[in-house]
Amino acid sequence: MTAVLRRLATGAVVLWAAATAAYLALLAAPGDTVDSIIGDGADTPLIRSQIVAEWGLNRPAVVQYADYLLRAAHGDLGRSYLLQRPVRDIVGEQIWPTLKLALFAALLGALLSLLLAVTTRRPWARRASSTAELVLVSTPPFLIGIILLSVFSFRFGLFPVAGDRGFAALVLPAVTLALPIAGVLTQVLRDGLDRALEEPFAVTARSRGLRESAVLLRHALRHALLPAVTLTGWLFGILLGGAVIIEQVFGRPGLGQVTLQAVNTKDMPVVLAVVVLSAAVYVVLNTAADLAYLLIDPRLRGS
Amino acid sequence: MLRDRFRPTALAAAAVLLLAACSGTAGEAAADAGQPVSGGSLTWGIETEPITFNPHLYAQAKARLLVANSFEGLLTHDANGGYVPLLATGYEPSADGRTYTFKLRTGATFSDGTPFDAAAVKANIDQLLTPGYAPTVAAVQLKNLTSVEVTDPATVVYHLARPDVLLLDFISSPQGAVVSPQSLTKAADLKAGGPGLAGTGPFILDRYTAGQEVHYKRNPSYWGSRPAYLDEVTYRFLKESSVRVGALTSGQVQVIEGVPATDQALITGDPRLSLTRELNSGSAYSYYLNVAHAPFDDLKVRQAFRDALDVGTVLNAVYQGTATRAWSVVGPASPLYDKSLEGSYGNNPARANQLLDEAGWTTRDADGFRTKAGKRLTVRLVQSAPFVRDRRDILAQTVQAAVKQSAGIDLAVSLVDQGTATKALADGAYEVFDNSRADTDAGAALNLLLASNGAINRTGSKDPALDKLLDAGQATADPARRKAAYAKIQQRVVAEQAIVLPLYAPNDQIAAARTVGGLSFEPTAGVPTSAYPVWVRK
Repeated sequence: MTAVLRRLATGAVVLWAAATAAYLALLAAPGDTVDSIIGDGADTPLIRSQIVAEWGLNRPAVVQYADYLLRAAHGDLGRSYLLQRPVRDIVGEQIWPTLKLALFAALLGALLSLLLAVTTRRPWARRASSTAELVLVSTPPFLIGIILLSVFSFRFGLFPVAGDRGFAALVLPAVTLALPIAGVLTQVLRDGLDRALEEPFAVTARSRGLRESAVLLRHALRHALLPAVTLTGWLFGILLGGAVIIEQVFGRPGLGQVTLQAVNTKDMPVVLAVVVLSAAVYVVLNTAADLAYLLIDPRLRGS
Repeated sequence: MLRDRFRPTALAAAAVLLLAACSGTAGEAAADAGQPVSGGSLTWGIETEPITFNPHLYAQAKARLLVANSFEGLLTHDANGGYVPLLATGYEPSADGRTYTFKLRTGATFSDGTPFDAAAVKANIDQLLTPGYAPTVAAVQLKNLTSVEVTDPATVVYHLARPDVLLLDFISSPQGAVVSPQSLTKAADLKAGGPGLAGTGPFILDRYTAGQEVHYKRNPSYWGSRPAYLDEVTYRFLKESSVRVGALTSGQVQVIEGVPATDQALITGDPRLSLTRELNSGSAYSYYLNVAHAPFDDLKVRQAFRDALDVGTVLNAVYQGTATRAWSVVGPASPLYDKSLEGSYGNNPARANQLLDEAGWTTRDADGFRTKAGKRLTVRLVQSAPFVRDRRDILAQTVQAAVKQSAGIDLAVSLVDQGTATKALADGAYEVFDNSRADTDAGAALNLLLASNGAINRTGSKDPALDKLLDAGQATADPARRKAAYAKIQQRVVAEQAIVLPLYAPNDQIAAARTVGGLSFEPTAGVPTSAYPVWVRK
């Protein structure tokens, strides 16, 4: 019970710290909020004073910050400077398309890497797979997306180009996002498998007469999974960062596009909401990863 | 005397005919699509997702084609820079130019059922003047408006503090569109617009999926002589140009706008597709030189910078012959354009070097740049990344190389975030400012950019003679006298003072399957029209 409470408290502190750090970073960035609302449009003292009055920007920064925290605690994330809508609505309607894309891509990436790591044990297959992984990891997702689109959508018309319209439209963006993930995960898994197969327990298992595939799947794989699970945080970063580019290329709705626009225009309420949300997801994922360790490795349960 | 009733269908037909006359491709496309037919749906890939669907807060020329689907103003533009009635039946200015009386169309209704009348027009103006609602419109377009008076349900009178012909430009602009007064009080997200805002236009916005698409259905009770041809139109937001082009060539969308120079060959090489281009209205994309401090406070240095550059060669290198060179700060499509500037200046490195020698920039440093009293001849151009389009960053780099080679001028280009750019402008830490404006009346753009107290005056120039000319251009309604005033302005800032270095006239492109007919550009604005005149062959 205390462990759960401690976790919750830590989570709350992480959220607060993320919100504050983002707030300070935006405050320190050049140009003030009025500048970013005006953009490259007309700029007169009258226009400025109206914007200041509308958003309450004449209050001291500390007061604005305290006001923000107080309202955020009550679930009110404010209004977007740029889009003139409540941030909760903007994030709320864009989160599901991104989540769908991220989950599907993560699943696809994990399955693909498991499959590759386990099946390409022979030296020649290994070499081919390794090369492919390296190419995928070092190719920008933007390029992968354009190539997949050109071939499967523009040339063969197998998948629609854009939007969040059914499963068919999800395939290409998810594959684009999954390929680099699969590239890295496969390398980590293969390395883990190699090391596990050299451990004494593998020799013992073989001496019990177990087939090599059984040794691989039942024993070595579990060991190899641990470092892969540690990469969950990294995976989340890739998914979120990748979503920005992939949503742009595929014309998909989602948080990535919202984030990009908000950062470009210094739309503070939206940026803060996305940062806090990301921090929340990060906390949840890391907790899940900790739990997964216990599930995968019984030796860790006692400690 | 009020002007004659003008039928909007005649206007649309005239626009189509005019376009067909000046552009061969459009004519062929129309022939392929046959005669206009009713029914069907169209999917259109567009580059820009609007920040807002509320016409009053319209700020993106790329969103104009959407606004015009569901909102209309009292007037609209004709192809010659004049005005024709839309929701009005005519208007009459007073002799002193300070009162405009509009007779309104009767029988038009907003798509929420509210009738269109003089009270609705007044409610819109009152809303625009509400503090905090549309500060830019209140401070710029309506700065000379004192009041709006309803004399009867079909008559509305605008009272101005001083003569201002740009009032008509505002009334024909998206910001001047009339929104249902009921929406103004009841819409959930008034400033964001969307399905909650009703207009009188030929289409009704019924679905908006942020980041993906916006959907319009035909307004069955449209007041015009015919309803729209199309049953429905979907605009998909495809921000990547290669994706837009791919979606068109693979038939997933039937029309796209925004075809960059590098992709135009893909369209023109495909017999199923057509490509049309039209120059935008407003000001040309130009470099504005900051005369507030050295080195551009010296006329000779400004002239040298202008003469050092061969604009034509630079444009060809960047845009492969698809860009239209601008010779004036006013775009060549504008009726106010001063053609006599063409070929009258520039591309004279010998003169540029001579001018710089005379101005005292005689020595050179190790990198080959000119110096004076140990200081390098550096001019800074700060570009805000979110607003860079048409590869203007690449263009800047090409200009940079050109002026270095021909005259030893160091153009320091930096591509930064919006906040840094605004800060540089506020601190005066720049010598070159780049901008183009898509205002339908070029005079409106020049007021912002060149007047001493202009809202986007980045040249730091305070020239009483120029202000007088700008006022004269805004006060007179006589086309010949306006043209004369603006010709003097263009001569002054481009040829004589070299405050503005015009580069190219921005254009818009439409690429479409040949089965789609009626596609055209808005007269005067030069951006794609709404879907009202568009049909799809069955």
